[in-house]
Amino acid sequence: MTRIRPRLRGRELGLLVIVALALVAGSLSLGAAGRLRAAQLEDGTTVELLALADSTQLLVFLGALFVAHLALVLAGRRTDQILLPTVGLLGGISLLLMERLPQDLAGGLGGLAQTQLVWLVLCIAVLTTLAVAVRNDGWLRRYKYTWAAAGVALLLLVFVFGREEESGARLTLVIGPISGQPTELLKVMLVIFLAGYLSENRSLLVEESTRLGPIRLPPLPYLAPMVAMWAIALGVVIVQRDLGAALLFFLVFLLLLYVSTGRFSFVALGLGAFAVGAVVLYRLFGHVQQRVDVWLDPWTDPLGAGYQVIQALHAFARGGLIGTGLGNGLPTVGGQPPIPALHTDFPFAALGEELGLVGILGILGLYLVLIARGFRIALAAEDEFRAILAAGLSLVISVQAFIIAGGNLKLIPLTGITLPFISYGGSSLLANAVIVGLLIALSERKLEPLPPIRPPGRLQRLLSRGAA
Amino acid sequence: MTAGPRSIEGAAWTGRRVGIGQALLRVVLALAIAFGGLAAGAGYWQVLRSSELSSAPNDAAVIAAARRVLRGEISDRDGVRLAWNKRDANGEPYRVYASDSLSGVIGYASRRFDKAGLERQWDAQLSGVVSADPLRDFLRKFQADPSDPQDLQTSLVLELQDAAVAALGRNRGAVVMLDPRTGEVLVLASTPTFDASAIANPDPETAGAAFRQVNEDERRPLLPRATQGRYVPGSTFKIVTAIAALGSGAVTPATSFEEQPAAEERGLLVDGFRVRDGHHPATGDRALEFDEAVEASCNIWFALAGLRTGGEALVDWAGRLGFGQPIPFDLPTAAAQVTGGGGSLGGGFSDRVELANAAYGQAETLATPLQMALVAAAVANDGTIMRPRLVIAATGKSGTTRFEPSVWQRVMSAGIADEIADAMRQAVAGDIGSAFTPGANVRGLRVAGKSGTAELEPGRSPHSWFIGFAPYDDPQIAIAVIVEESGGGSVKASPIAGDLLRDWRAWTRR
Repeated sequence: MTRIRPRLRGRELGLLVIVALALVAGSLSLGAAGRLRAAQLEDGTTVELLALADSTQLLVFLGALFVAHLALVLAGRRTDQILLPTVGLLGGISLLLMERLPQDLAGGLGGLAQTQLVWLVLCIAVLTTLAVAVRNDGWLRRYKYTWAAAGVALLLLVFVFGREEESGARLTLVIGPISGQPTELLKVMLVIFLAGYLSENRSLLVEESTRLGPIRLPPLPYLAPMVAMWAIALGVVIVQRDLGAALLFFLVFLLLLYVSTGRFSFVALGLGAFAVGAVVLYRLFGHVQQRVDVWLDPWTDPLGAGYQVIQALHAFARGGLIGTGLGNGLPTVGGQPPIPALHTDFPFAALGEELGLVGILGILGLYLVLIARGFRIALAAEDEFRAILAAGLSLVISVQAFIIAGGNLKLIPLTGITLPFISYGGSSLLANAVIVGLLIALSERKLEPLPPIRPPGRLQRLLSRGAA
Repeated sequence: MTAGPRSIEGAAWTGRRVGIGQALLRVVLALAIAFGGLAAGAGYWQVLRSSELSSAPNDAAVIAAARRVLRGEISDRDGVRLAWNKRDANGEPYRVYASDSLSGVIGYASRRFDKAGLERQWDAQLSGVVSADPLRDFLRKFQADPSDPQDLQTSLVLELQDAAVAALGRNRGAVVMLDPRTGEVLVLASTPTFDASAIANPDPETAGAAFRQVNEDERRPLLPRATQGRYVPGSTFKIVTAIAALGSGAVTPATSFEEQPAAEERGLLVDGFRVRDGHHPATGDRALEFDEAVEASCNIWFALAGLRTGGEALVDWAGRLGFGQPIPFDLPTAAAQVTGGGGSLGGGFSDRVELANAAYGQAETLATPLQMALVAAAVANDGTIMRPRLVIAATGKSGTTRFEPSVWQRVMSAGIADEIADAMRQAVAGDIGSAFTPGANVRGLRVAGKSGTAELEPGRSPHSWFIGFAPYDDPQIAIAVIVEESGGGSVKASPIAGDLLRDWRAWTRR
């Protein structure tokens, strides 16, 4: 075994310092706003304005980021240096936002921000562990059907044990003391499966063997997974009432299909199937219908179904170009923030108000950085599996960000999906940490060479791995 | 650059395919366009629609600002607090009121149920958004506090207001007391009252229950009767007819009508219809003069006087007193009327029968208690009505603004006013008059006035009225009392007026 030699990561360090400075500035601004407001209530007291909102929480978070950096330096791998600071800034913004909201909105570990901080630190730990430890991808590509089966099993578990939410969505799996949203993990498993399946069958899919008039279909046997994906997406909508996840799965699938086959016709076909499914769902299911109707015109029911969406639009409007400043927006009505479920579904609108259009463009820019780095890794990948995997992983994050941001902005119907790295919630943070951790690991130029293809026989493989 | 043979590429529109690298770049391009769409969407809401949405009345910030602001307090003329603020658990202020008796005047300012009464009418001053464009103030983010809530001092006297409501008791009704010299309103009572503090309560359950109850109450406590209740005025309207008849010169104080005594017995025939008087045997068969007709409340005399004055002059002179349009006031008022209008006769009467009946306050005459108090005030103040007022001072950061008295209407000459005042004094103090106005004559306070019994459709008890002023030779207070459908004729309203004038005198001596 070769000795691991530490390797300096100057660019990452520099970017992390910038991120830290930005977050300290944000925390100062938030702290000043909070203290000013408190002073106005008591009137007459002088306030110390130059202090952090919550120095401990911010220091813990920044500390975790720099420890992660140190770990990556010590690991000595030539991996991407942009992703960690990008995630760091997004997570830091999330932390500031959670500090700023009423602490009793959610969170069992001493408040909203405290709980989010725990998840953020865990998220950095998972990300770093994967970035350091994943040195080959064999375990990912070999067991693709296992991953897929596990994913479907998770879905079934939710179906059976899922806790129904107020909105009628069935997203949360509760088994004993552990609860989580398995769709978040499911999306990672699905990408791994798709990368494996598509890279393996790419050439077959491309061959024309089935023609329907002028339309070229993939060979029928290989159409099955496509139909299965479509069915899974529909199932997610019907069983879990989770429109966002369904949309995410299907879009990521279509885009990956395009990446691997290069055929736009498949995408067109998929979109056609999607349209048919959408129309049928709209006709059959009240919750789908309501979402779409609210999207088309929320003002027909401004105090009922349209309330959330309208309030979000007002938040964007109040923010304007430069925003109200952290801690100065989001007027409370009866001690509650103006938008229901703000911390999970509408952080984008909240940031739109407090950071303004400038801040929104900055955050969209951060996601674009994630996309750019992910696709760069894909382009530089040594084989198709890795290319499709890297593309798929960054697609999951970016498409998800698009779906929820678009929903907040009333560009598309609103769905209850999380804004990656910013929304409150552990499942989402951990799943996205897994994604970025894998991306960083995949970015190493000289990843260990693939082990030679072994003859089939799982037992034998296991034995041989055990012996290695 | 593309994989796949040319033949496939040309085969059909669906046939083109590209390599992984190319496909990746195209997907990135598509994502970039999608994110560009997000940026454009954000720009649309945050720049193009920004000011429109953020200034809308349903915007959370606008609502929150209104909720955060500490409304100015409202006090009575002696500085007693009538409305002030408390803070809920979130530190947001809410309104409390000194007494239920104020509900018809002060109204309420509630988070859920908006505002009513003075709280609504003077909202801009109370919440401090008096500048022409409150939005601009609000959007100036870096200004510490652009609002300037003002405390209002009213001309009300809380103890008299409470006394008026107590005197009305369980009856529906209203009392207006004002200073005829300044137009300052001391009492503006309306019953039944309601609990305005409960409607303004920060707890949505409490407020909702209170609001629902008040809305469902068949006795309509939300109607501010003193300013917006329109009642048949009955005989109190004879003062209006007197002003019109004497003012226009149609009759003089010495005028009497030959046909009147006989008509008392047989009824007055107007175009074939019988207008019958029903009372005062004490006047005998003599033809009454003006002051006697007022004292005896002679319907026939006033019917004849009204006919001689003519519809046009009657409506015209009533208009000088405020009839026909809402009275300018610190609260919304309903317009009083002499006739429903639209008729062919002068002034809009449909025929002489209606005119004859209107002349003694029946037919289609309707008046608010405030209007009738102003009729009394016109007589009391030498024929001049001062603009009625409730708010006498507003105090904000920039100091105190006082609202000075101003003349509203010069109705008639002082001479005519004196003639009518004399007659009204007789109506309270005279032998015959005091029979109609029991309890109105307060010992040591020379009260002048006129009672009224407003006949309604068959099956309903009449309204009981009293309007008047005191002291007769140096008027300082005018009063109107109505007790709805109280059944006992003027015997209901007159003693209430007497009691309240006694309370008023006690208050002035303090």
